[in-house]
Amino acid sequence: MEKDKNVLEIPYGTRDFLPSEAADKRAIETKLAELFAEWGYEEVVTPTIEYLDNLTLGSSVSLQDHLFKLFDRDNRTLALRHEMTTPIARLVSSRLKDYPLPMKLSYISSVFRQEQTQMGRQCEFHQAGVELMGSTSAFADAEILALAIQGLLRSGLKDFQICLGQVEFLNGIMEQYQLPAEAKDKLKAAMEQRNLVELETLVDQLGLSDNAKAVLKKLPLLNGGEAMLKSAYDLALNEQSRRALDNLSEIYRLLKSYGVEQYVRFDLGIIRDFSYYTGMVFEAYTPGLGFPLCGGGRYDHLLSDFGNACPATGFGMGIERILLALERQGLEKPKRARNIYLSYAAGKEAQAVERARVLRQEGKTVELALTPQDKAEAVKMQQAKGYAELVYLA
Amino acid sequence: MQSTSMDYLTIALPKGKLFGLSADLLAKIGYTAEGLSDKSRKLIITNEEKKIKFIVSKTADVPTYVEYGAADLGVIGKDVLLESGKDVYELLDLGFGRCHLMMAVPKDEKRAKLLDYNHTRVATKFPHIAEQFFNRHGMQMEYIKLNGSIELGPIVGLSESIVDIVETGTTLRENGLEEIVSIQDATARLIANRVSFKMKFDRIHTMISDLRTILESEAAAK
Repeated sequence: MEKDKNVLEIPYGTRDFLPSEAADKRAIETKLAELFAEWGYEEVVTPTIEYLDNLTLGSSVSLQDHLFKLFDRDNRTLALRHEMTTPIARLVSSRLKDYPLPMKLSYISSVFRQEQTQMGRQCEFHQAGVELMGSTSAFADAEILALAIQGLLRSGLKDFQICLGQVEFLNGIMEQYQLPAEAKDKLKAAMEQRNLVELETLVDQLGLSDNAKAVLKKLPLLNGGEAMLKSAYDLALNEQSRRALDNLSEIYRLLKSYGVEQYVRFDLGIIRDFSYYTGMVFEAYTPGLGFPLCGGGRYDHLLSDFGNACPATGFGMGIERILLALERQGLEKPKRARNIYLSYAAGKEAQAVERARVLRQEGKTVELALTPQDKAEAVKMQQAKGYAELVYLA
Repeated sequence: MQSTSMDYLTIALPKGKLFGLSADLLAKIGYTAEGLSDKSRKLIITNEEKKIKFIVSKTADVPTYVEYGAADLGVIGKDVLLESGKDVYELLDLGFGRCHLMMAVPKDEKRAKLLDYNHTRVATKFPHIAEQFFNRHGMQMEYIKLNGSIELGPIVGLSESIVDIVETGTTLRENGLEEIVSIQDATARLIANRVSFKMKFDRIHTMISDLRTILESEAAAK
């Protein structure tokens, strides 16, 4: 029997969804698909495998360590998609080039990352998201944020927070002190690693005024509401960083029209994992889940890497993380109800089939017994299978 | 059981030598709880009035509790943090628990330079840090993970060298070992979960400022 040992195992970082888990997942995905469609976003599906070179275009080298790679018959390197933004950028730059702009696309897909599994994230996990191509306006960014918030609400979450930042603010601040490229990279790396101790040590080594040092050290701590954003203007000494703050103020003003500004807090030190972001960036958090639920931002150069200069903004949310958060917070998942178990006595098959048809037409979920049963058996089965109601044809 | 409550701030403290120092420092900013001790049988100690929970855990587990958000904050040595590779905010250098990570070899068999140890065996409790260090020097080593008494490695012929932390160097000397290269200095750090740091920002930010004030006044007094 030794050789059979592995037949029940599945690879590291993958999981099965049992019926009730799959139902929860499907229900959330359905809600999100409906929402995206309501907002005029059209769904696209891209291949699970892409050429490695396409997926890594415009991304940092470290990304390569986290991709599942394989070879095709001509020995070209393929990889499983690790996110959906890059494949959609490729798609838009090739086959949708002549589509009228702005283009609004959505997806619900599995993505793959070779890494230590985390809470609510295996190596294979599921994302729902949207991409809005062809607009540089703050209105586009506000729409993306408002839609992300609606998505979390529609999933059933109540308590969450969006942290909103702007990568050009950080770049502008570093620019205004004329830091050498090497120093900038080191400071950014420290911030990406969330290492504020290292950031302080690095800043102390720079030949800057005490005031400049204090500003750089403060970057990861610029978190707050509108008042914090206003006070950040005191730190912004050049056009680049001021324009980033203007952009955030404008997005926030528009979010008020959507009536969702209470979910949003500014975080000027926010760092996202992907290097393609060029403007506003955000992450969503919820209590009891140690990892972000959702993230996104503006990426105006990624499409030009595919030869089709076009500004873009979007977000992706983790389905498993949303499910986990709902469970942790004891919230109702938008699951489809199991309504009726339909059983019957011998000789009543035809009536049972007809009855099931009528009930299903009314929108009920109906499981039809496959063999005649007596009432007691039928009740037992109904309860074991978790149906709310029994319909029995005697 | 993870707290989804926003009311409490949960802090993971490591058992052992950092425990007392951490508890003392936190007490100075009012972060304490009745019966807080690493000898306590209770693993979670709560201060209801100040809405603080302490988790007392094994040292190596502190970064894990914090990464997953089971604790919002933690105190941990930089050595253990680096080895764990966990994705957490490193907020503050607390200054105590100073030690340094280094490579040591038997005094009598010392080789001329670091590269002469290429492709040899190294015994260590910190295989990740050691590997990163040797990789940076273009060296390939055979790593032997031990959980304690690392100094024994070269003495019994298990390895040619060790990578370990030292505080005073007494143990090294007593076992005929000599430090040949320093890898990293380490002190205790205040770490935070990446989501807690954002969602409980105001409270954590105040706490950092208070701790800074204490640390600076202590440094000035020395």
